[in-house]
Amino acid sequence: MRHGTRYEFPDLPLNSVDAGTNVLLTGPTLGGTRELLLRLLLGEDGVVIITADTSARKVLSAFEAAGGRVDRERVRVVSCTQERDDDLGDFVVSVGSPGDLTGIGIEYSGQYEQVYARGYDTVRTGIYTLTPLLVYSEEIRPVFRFVNTVTSRIRTADGLGVCAIDPSAHDEQVVNSIAQPFDARVDVREVDGTVELRVTGLPDQPSEWTAVPALE
Amino acid sequence: MPTIVCVDDDDETRAGTVEALESAGFEVRQRGSVGAVETVMDDSVGCVVTTATLPDGDGFDVVELVRDRYPDCPCIFFTSEAPADLPRGGRDQVVEYVPRTVPEAHERLVEVVMAAATEATQPAYPVPKDEAARVAALEAYDIDELATLDTFERLTALLTSHFDIDVAFVGLVDAHEERFVACEGANWRTLAREDSICTHTILTDEVMVVENVQEDPRFAGVDRLDQLDIRSYAGARISDDDGNVLGAVCCIHGEPRSYTQAERDDLRRFADEVEEQLALRRRLGTGGA
Repeated sequence: MRHGTRYEFPDLPLNSVDAGTNVLLTGPTLGGTRELLLRLLLGEDGVVIITADTSARKVLSAFEAAGGRVDRERVRVVSCTQERDDDLGDFVVSVGSPGDLTGIGIEYSGQYEQVYARGYDTVRTGIYTLTPLLVYSEEIRPVFRFVNTVTSRIRTADGLGVCAIDPSAHDEQVVNSIAQPFDARVDVREVDGTVELRVTGLPDQPSEWTAVPALE
Repeated sequence: MPTIVCVDDDDETRAGTVEALESAGFEVRQRGSVGAVETVMDDSVGCVVTTATLPDGDGFDVVELVRDRYPDCPCIFFTSEAPADLPRGGRDQVVEYVPRTVPEAHERLVEVVMAAATEATQPAYPVPKDEAARVAALEAYDIDELATLDTFERLTALLTSHFDIDVAFVGLVDAHEERFVACEGANWRTLAREDSICTHTILTDEVMVVENVQEDPRFAGVDRLDQLDIRSYAGARISDDDGNVLGAVCCIHGEPRSYTQAERDDLRRFADEVEEQLALRRRLGTGGA
């Protein structure tokens, strides 16, 4: 096991977190949430991104714009958008629909293992966003099963999980229930062009609204 | 340690998997077909490891068979097939997957199995953060004996008349199901946690009200609630003296219904009474294991 690993977030107003931490990022689809999520994935660790809102091509380009390096040995994408991403290479896999939770889960585990097998025993996972998964599922229980399965893998493997959801698209109770397996919730908002965040559930993190200058 | 079921029709492959799991300390039951899985499933099974393709079906048939009776049971695909080559499962048959082709595949499998067997990794509902302590605290109560007591029957009868509702119950939520200690107006004994509204009630210290179950996105798709004619719900959770949440006291009606703040306060008082009764019974040794 990888005892003592912590994940750090340079240039963001966040302190490092323990390995195995899962964070739910709640914020509007527009308004800095995606860029913040991608910045939380920066570093030299393995990266697996599940994208449901935007094509893999756009996510990878946004990842690079946020300062990430798309190294195909280390960075992997599971795309569940309708857009065709097949031509990008086998570091991107496509699942036909955000409603195919079984397919997304298996492809995610497969990509995680591929990254791990290449020697990256610390892996950052980003899910952008859960909202289409909820919208495309006929009922919520399989989504709970999916979120529990993914967060459990991240916890067990000493990874880092960052999962975004747009709270305005769902009942508050649904968001609260979905938040249950996460260690912390990071709320994101944009006020007069400034992106701000606040953290609940983790000590030593900003619990009041705090500006994120890197996203200006 | 829970028992693991290993399903693979290739004797050599299966033997290797079984050996890895046994070396990690698990008791393992092995089978070579979908049909044979039913004979090895019981409450002691903590996880099922299956290959993707079997002589009489595929891994998703195993998942369906297992979860039909044990809906929380974690299922792990351990197979040499790549994700794209796997049989197609239902869109909601979420499983774990460990490819047998990666280096140290058995070690990777054991790591995933270890988590699956010791914590709730694949349930189709939210789980309280202190679940292990909560379930351990519940083991101090003999639910079967509590169900024979008149006290809780009287309280649930009072609840139905006080609120003018169809059904009232006291339910204790264990690791996999809600078990009814008393139920007035219906003959319910147990409900799977993934079907039970109380699964959500135990997450909040506020009285939970669902005015119309069919309009709540958390419950609208749950067929079992429809079958039981549960159209509205109010529930207050019950805890022990140490704060461990044990279950809930609940009001059910066959029509949509709202609850005033005064009614919510009353339901909370009924729940306080149940908490005291449970604590007292435990101290007296009646209903306490």
